[in-house]
Amino acid sequence: MRLPVRTIPSCITIGIRIGIRSSSRLHSTNSGFTSLSEDEMSHFNALASSWWDVNGPQRILHKMNLLRMDFIYSTIRNHIQLNDPETPEDEQVYIPPFNVDLLPKPVRNTIIQEQEERRDDILNASKLSVLDIGCGGGILSESMARLSFIKSVKGIDLSKDVLEAAKLHKLKDPMLNEDEHKLNYELMAIEDIPKSETYDVVTMFEMLEHVDHPSKVLIEALNKVNVGGWVFISTINRDFVSWFTTIFMGEHILGIVPVGTHTLEKYIDQSEIREWFDKDPERKSSFKVIDTKGCIYLPAYGWKFTSTPDVGNYFMAIKRVS
Amino acid sequence: MSLRFLGIRRTLATYVASSAAPKLQDVVIIGGGPAGLSMLTALKNNQKTKHLKCTLIEASDLGKIHGFYDNPGEEYTNRVVSLTPKSIDFMQSKIGNWEFIKHDRIKFYDRIVAYDAQDSDNARVDFNASATETGALAAMAENINIQSSLLKKLEVLNDTESTTILDKTKVEEIINPNQQNIEETHDLNEIDLNAGNANLDWPILKLSNGESIQTRLLIGADGYNSPARKFARIESRGWQYNTFGVVATIKLEYEDYRSIGWQRFLSTGPLAILPLTEDNATIVWSSTPELSQILLKTNKEIFPHLVNAAMVLDEVDLQYLYKLLDYNPDDFTVLDEIKWRLDKFDQQKLEENYPLKVTEVLDGSRARFPLKLSHADTYISPRVALIGDAAHTIHPLAGQGLNMGQSDVAFLMAALESGIERGLDIGSTLVLDSYVANAWPSNHMLLGICDKLHKVFSTDYYPIVALRGLGLRSINLLDSVKDVMVKIISSR
Repeated sequence: MRLPVRTIPSCITIGIRIGIRSSSRLHSTNSGFTSLSEDEMSHFNALASSWWDVNGPQRILHKMNLLRMDFIYSTIRNHIQLNDPETPEDEQVYIPPFNVDLLPKPVRNTIIQEQEERRDDILNASKLSVLDIGCGGGILSESMARLSFIKSVKGIDLSKDVLEAAKLHKLKDPMLNEDEHKLNYELMAIEDIPKSETYDVVTMFEMLEHVDHPSKVLIEALNKVNVGGWVFISTINRDFVSWFTTIFMGEHILGIVPVGTHTLEKYIDQSEIREWFDKDPERKSSFKVIDTKGCIYLPAYGWKFTSTPDVGNYFMAIKRVS
Repeated sequence: MSLRFLGIRRTLATYVASSAAPKLQDVVIIGGGPAGLSMLTALKNNQKTKHLKCTLIEASDLGKIHGFYDNPGEEYTNRVVSLTPKSIDFMQSKIGNWEFIKHDRIKFYDRIVAYDAQDSDNARVDFNASATETGALAAMAENINIQSSLLKKLEVLNDTESTTILDKTKVEEIINPNQQNIEETHDLNEIDLNAGNANLDWPILKLSNGESIQTRLLIGADGYNSPARKFARIESRGWQYNTFGVVATIKLEYEDYRSIGWQRFLSTGPLAILPLTEDNATIVWSSTPELSQILLKTNKEIFPHLVNAAMVLDEVDLQYLYKLLDYNPDDFTVLDEIKWRLDKFDQQKLEENYPLKVTEVLDGSRARFPLKLSHADTYISPRVALIGDAAHTIHPLAGQGLNMGQSDVAFLMAALESGIERGLDIGSTLVLDSYVANAWPSNHMLLGICDKLHKVFSTDYYPIVALRGLGLRSINLLDSVKDVMVKIISSR
């Protein structure tokens, strides 16, 4: 999420000072906090609130976040293994070896309800750790941190000022500050994360199309995920529709994205990512592309999944199998 | 939930200085009517939302309503509502209070006969439930029966950790901590905003018991004059009908096995007789201010005969009777006036096509309330959602008021559930948007239909009388049209 960086005035030093102090305020008395001038304070508040104003310039991103969360939630939930091999047989949930729709309605409903309940039980018992790469103002990081099955979220970004906006907004919800591991932001690049640090879920949204060496970034992200864990990415297909929606309409006609944000040459087709996985035998055996979904922004409606992942924007879910 | 336990909480609270930090809650519901209690119970009966810390605030004493469950009393109370099959299904499957309803005090009916008082051919529509899956059009239930079943369900859920009901407590003030230029009327010394979490933009509620609560989401189920709506600065538009609804609980000459709801459109407003169990029934008589006064003061021995007359006689005759009773509410000669007029009718027709005779009106059950239409421009603003009468009030002629509240609760619950799955802050408009998008248009349509029905039937302008008679008769001939109408009404 680099795009909005350009729209934010530089007040980096003030931002950091306030940000750090205000986050420590939670754990200590806030002596010294008021010694900052009201002007600086209100200026910084305005910065954070415009990022998080759901009706403001970032509305399109807030709306997209709804779809991202739907994609992440349903992918994780639907791929839960209902019967662990170690579960005793009488405690296993019945999974018929044929389509349940063939069964009479009441039987079918009972089976499905049982499966859904088991799914929720397993999900609620999980405590997953998340790494959000390119977290920006923390729109996705906050949403992930609020999920009942997420233990901790670490958001990293290269832009100081948006990270300060993220840190300030985090304080606006007690739920995100209940324990110190719940949600944290750090100014660092993905390659600076220690090799030993791995996560159950790694997210990298709206980022690959902005970097010079996407494959290197992708490899770093894949290395950060535990076996059985997920990598969620999103980027844009390199085609006419993408050019028309993201560059022509988004930047030049509607002006909802700063001009020069996107470069068509940097877009990556979803099929290219799939091929990239298939090319390397080791990568092919460790990772599996589970799902890809296209999405499109419809003015006055919001984001919507499309029937094809090969056109425009898309989300991809990759699972580490070994 | 524990009403008794709350008493202790309250006394403790008074010892806490009012400048104490506001207590943080996820959801505060103002109003303990059917909509507010349904909302609280639905939140607590749902796996996805039950962890939310909820407080419900009600100005009156809920103890009496709670007592109804163990000791319902002999006679029917006069606040009776109509429940559609869809509302009942919601109570069964989502809220879970249906099992605690006193079923011996619920009456299902499967036919509605509506007819026009000014049409000599007696234009009428006869709706029946053959088009619905359940075989019933609606059920009549007392408000108190529904409320007590909700309280009982909350008691059984027994979530003392995160459910608080504060009854006999008023909301004195709602403060928006974000507002820079807080009006002078707000005495800021009484609440130390900085003592709470100064970062929170959550509304702060100052309560009459000295406590203050800061809430992530404020749900206004606080009725027509909703303080929550005023706080959110949401405009509500509408008008008074200059009409009163007179309600009464009555006894019929014997139990009507036909289970029919009757409605006659008089030019003064529709008069409905709706069945309750055994020989009980309830009436809703929409009337002009003057007529409503007459209906309330008429001698209780005369009143049942007046109802019988109003379901059958011509409007001219009725106007004459009203005049007599206005002059002297205890004028027993009215009984003769009614009798000879009714005797002129074919008695068999009277039995077949009209409701059973009313024989008695219960003491103290007669009451009137002003009828009005209102609809809020929207139901949400950041950190506020409105449900029930706070969002809309409707003419009672189709018995939809409570059901609209139930559908609000269902839509708001769906929005909150999906907001939680998406990890959003449930006070955000990103979450609440879908509630308005789903609930507002259908409510608006229903409000409009009932408003038009009221207006079309309260005129005696001949062309309209003729047209509506033609309309009623045509609708009655077209079973398919009637089935569609029944489905729309019963599936709400």
